[in-house]
Amino acid sequence: MKPPSFRLFLLSAVLWGWILGVGLTDAPAARPAVQREQLPNKLVLLVSEDHSLPFVTIQMLLDAGSRRDPAGEEGLAYLTAKGLLLGTTRQPAATFNQTLDFMGASLEASASADYSVVSLRVLKKDLDRAFGLFLDGLTRPAFPEEELQKEIKKILGGIQAAEEDPETLAEKAFRQVLFGHNPYGHPVEGTKESVGKLTRDRVLEFFREWHHPNNAILAVVGDVSLEEVKTRLVPLLTPWEVKKTNPQPFQPTFQPGPETRLINRDVTQSSIIIGGPGVERANPDYYALTVMNYILGGGGFGSRLMEEIRVKRGLAYSVASFLDSRKYQGSFQVVLQTKNTSAQEAVKLVFQGLKRIREEAVSPEELQRAQKYLIGSFPMRFDTQGKLAGFLTQVEYYGLGLDYPEKYPNVIQSVTREDVLRVARTYLRSEQTIQVVVGNLKEAGME
Amino acid sequence: MFLRIRRFALGVILFLFPLLLLVSTPAISATLADRVVEKVLPNGLKVILLENPKIPEVTFQVWYRVGSRNESWGKTGLSHMLEHMMFKGTRRVSGEQFDRTIEENGGQQNAFTSSDFTAYFENMRSDRLPVLIDLESDRMHNLMLREEDFRTEKMVVLEERRMRTEDSPQAYLAEQLEATAFQSSPYHWPTIGWEQDIEGLTLEDLQSYYRTYYNPANAVLVVVGDFRKEELLPRIQAAFGPIPRQETPSQKKGLDPPQSGERRITVSRPAELPFLLMGYHVPNLPSPDGYVLEVIAVMLAGGKSSRLYQGLVQERQLALSVEADNALLSRDPHLFSLSAQPLPGHTAEELEKALDQELTRLQKEPVPEAELEKAKNQLEAAFIYGQDSLFSQAMLLAQHEIVSGWRAADDYLPSIRKVTAADIQRVAGQYLIPRNRTVGILNPLPPQEGKPLKPAPSGSGRIIR
Repeated sequence: MKPPSFRLFLLSAVLWGWILGVGLTDAPAARPAVQREQLPNKLVLLVSEDHSLPFVTIQMLLDAGSRRDPAGEEGLAYLTAKGLLLGTTRQPAATFNQTLDFMGASLEASASADYSVVSLRVLKKDLDRAFGLFLDGLTRPAFPEEELQKEIKKILGGIQAAEEDPETLAEKAFRQVLFGHNPYGHPVEGTKESVGKLTRDRVLEFFREWHHPNNAILAVVGDVSLEEVKTRLVPLLTPWEVKKTNPQPFQPTFQPGPETRLINRDVTQSSIIIGGPGVERANPDYYALTVMNYILGGGGFGSRLMEEIRVKRGLAYSVASFLDSRKYQGSFQVVLQTKNTSAQEAVKLVFQGLKRIREEAVSPEELQRAQKYLIGSFPMRFDTQGKLAGFLTQVEYYGLGLDYPEKYPNVIQSVTREDVLRVARTYLRSEQTIQVVVGNLKEAGME
Repeated sequence: MFLRIRRFALGVILFLFPLLLLVSTPAISATLADRVVEKVLPNGLKVILLENPKIPEVTFQVWYRVGSRNESWGKTGLSHMLEHMMFKGTRRVSGEQFDRTIEENGGQQNAFTSSDFTAYFENMRSDRLPVLIDLESDRMHNLMLREEDFRTEKMVVLEERRMRTEDSPQAYLAEQLEATAFQSSPYHWPTIGWEQDIEGLTLEDLQSYYRTYYNPANAVLVVVGDFRKEELLPRIQAAFGPIPRQETPSQKKGLDPPQSGERRITVSRPAELPFLLMGYHVPNLPSPDGYVLEVIAVMLAGGKSSRLYQGLVQERQLALSVEADNALLSRDPHLFSLSAQPLPGHTAEELEKALDQELTRLQKEPVPEAELEKAKNQLEAAFIYGQDSLFSQAMLLAQHEIVSGWRAADDYLPSIRKVTAADIQRVAGQYLIPRNRTVGILNPLPPQEGKPLKPAPSGSGRIIR
C-alpha cells in the first residue's frame, strides 16, 4: 500500500540530478573530507571517513550504462547489472542473499543511461564479509541461465506494468521522439521487443567488455578509516584485472524539427511533456542553464511556471522543468499533469513561459534568488552517507574535481542576466520543440 | 523532488522498516530519553529537541495532531486542504514572502498530511534557525484564509486527487479497501478526501478547523540538528510562548467493532496487470503484538531471502513484486497489509492462494531460530541506518509522539529483540486469518482510448476562475 506518489518522486529524482548542485558563499563550504587514490589497476578509489555511526556505505560506479546497448539489444546493460547479484561462481544467489539479509545489509545493482551502480550498506562489524560478497558479485558473477531467464521475465513484466502509467508513457515517447536512434533514445530497461532477445552469451560479452577496474569508480563512506580501507579492502581490489575497452564514438542525433505526439488514453488527466535537446554535463553553459531552469520551472514554488499554472490558475498539482544533462547531450523538459479539459490552456502557458524567458532578461531579483537557493542548499546534496557516496562517484565520473564544492558558488554567482538570456535563446529553440500528450484527447480537444 | 511530494496526502504511512534511530552502539551511548530535551510551554506547545552536530544543518518540524481521522462525514479532505492553505500567507507574511524567505536561505520545505497528523518542515543551515522560528510561530495563529486563494487551491487539490488516485488503479484499489475494512471509524475515508467532499468544502469549514486544531496545545515542535538547546529553547519560548492557549480538542474517535467475517471487493479499471491487496486488522503501538507483526512483515517480505520474495518471486515465478506492511505507528489500530502483483500470465487468485499457504505455515510451524534472528538483525540494522538523516530522526520522534509519546521509540529495539518463535505463531494465528481481513482485487480492463466528453466531467466547469 505504498503511496503511488513515491513512484513519481523517484522518477523525477533522477532528472533532478545535478540541478541542485552548489556551495556556500557566506560560510565556509561544508566540504566533505575525501581521499582520492588510483590503484595500479586504474580503479579510482574515494574515501570519506565519518565515524558518527557504526556503518559503511559503498558505491561502485561502472561506465557501463544503457547508452552502450547495441542496437536491437536494448536493455543489455541493465540486465548485466541485475545479473551481478544473481549468483557467483562461488555461491548461488539464494546463499548470497541469505548471508546479506542475516547481516541486515543491503546490496543493490542497477543501470542508468550513462553508468551502472552497485551499492552496499552494512554495519561496520560485518564490513569484511559483506565487502567480500560485493566484490564476488562484481568480479565473479556466474550469470546462471535459469536466473537470467527469470530476471528477463521480471523486466518484461515491469515494462508491461509501467504501460498503465501515463507519465511513464509520456516520458518514453518523449525520449523516443527526441533522441530517435541516438543511444539515449531507448529506455534503460529495454523494450518489450528487445528484452526477450537478450541472451546469456551477450550478457557475458557485455560484462567482459565494460566491467573493468579501469572503467570504474569506488566510493567508500562512513565508519572506516583510510588505513582500514588500504589494509582490508584494497588487497581484495588489486587482483581485479585491468582490461582494454573500445569505446564507440557517441553520435548525438536529434529529431530535427518540431513534433507533436498524441497518445489517447481513458484517463482523467493529460500528462504533458514539452521540451527539446539539452546539453552535455561538461558544456560550460551548464551552469547558466541551471540558473535559467531554476527560474523557469526548476525552483519549486518560486518558479515562473509554478506561479502561472498552479498558483494563479489552479491548473496543476505538479508542474516543473528539468535539465537532464548527461555525459553527452541530454534533454530539457517541462513536465505537467492537468485535467484533460485544461490541457490546451496549460500547453499555451508553457509556450508563453518559454517565449518570455527567450525574449526578455530575467529580473535581477529572480537571478539573485536562484543563486542564493542554489548556493545555500548545496550541503544538502551530501548530508547522508548514501548521498555523499553518490555525490563523490558522480563528481569523479563527470570530471568536476574534488574541489567542486568550493568552485561551485563562484561559478553560480558569476552567471549574469545576459548569460541566462543567451542560454535560453541558444537552447530553448522553438523550432526544435517536441510536445507529447498522453490523455483523453477527445476531452482535451486535441484529436 | 520536494516539489513532487509537496502537500501530499499520505493515506496512512506504513513503513516496512520504520525510520528509526538510536540503538546502543559504541558511537552513541544510551537512549533517546537521555539525549532528547522535552519542554511543554505554558500554552501547551510540546517542544522536542535532539542535538546532532554531525553536519551544520537542522530539520525544523511542526506537527499538528490533526488528520483525516478528525474530519466528519461530508467534510473529508479538510485537513489536507488546510495544509495547502497554510502556504497562502498570514496577516504579516504573504505566501510568496514565506516561500522566498526559505528559498533565499537555501532551505527546503514541504508538508504532509496523513489520517493522524499534519506536519510542516524545513531543512536548512543551522545558523538560519531564527528565520524558521519566526515563520512557523507566525502561521500557527495568524493564517489568512482568503476566498480567492481557496478557489484555485481547491482546483489544485482536485488535480492532485486525479493524479494520485483516479489515474492510478492500485491507489484506487487501496482507497476502496480501506473504505471496506473500516466502516464506522474515520479511517473509512481517504486523507485526500472524496472528490465531491473536496468540491463542497467552504472557507468557513477551514476557518473553524484552523481555530480548533491549529493551537499550541494541539501541536508538537520537533527540532533535530546542529544547535545548542540552551540557546534555542529561549528563542522558541519567545516566539511560540505568546500564542494564546486554547482548549485541547478531543481526540477520541470511534473504532470499528471486531470484524466477523472476510470481506471482498473487486475494482475493475483500465490497467495492465491485476493486483492483490489484503488488509488485516491489527493492534498498534501500545500493544506488544505490534512488534511481533513488525518481525513478521520482515520475515515475509523484507529482503530477497524473505519467504514471499524467495518463494513467490524467485522460485515459483508467480509475482512481479510482493510487499508486507505493518501499521505499528497508527494512532488508532489500522491494517497489516500484504500486496502482490502477478507476473503476466498469472492471476491475483493464484497469488492469494500462495500467500495463504505462507500465512498458514507461519501459524503451524515454529520459525527456525536463525530465520528469526535474521529478521531481528534486519530491523536492527535498518534502525541504525535511519540515524543518518536528521529528517528521519525527527520523523521517528514525532510519529511516536503522535501515537503514544516519543519515549516509546526507545522501546522499539528491546521489544523487537523479545519476540519469540511462539509469539510469531500466536500472533499470526490471532490476526492474520481470513475472518479478520478484507481482500481487494484489481481486475484489469484493457487500456482504452479516451471517450468523448462526459456530460458533467467532475472537477471542471464548476470552478470559477
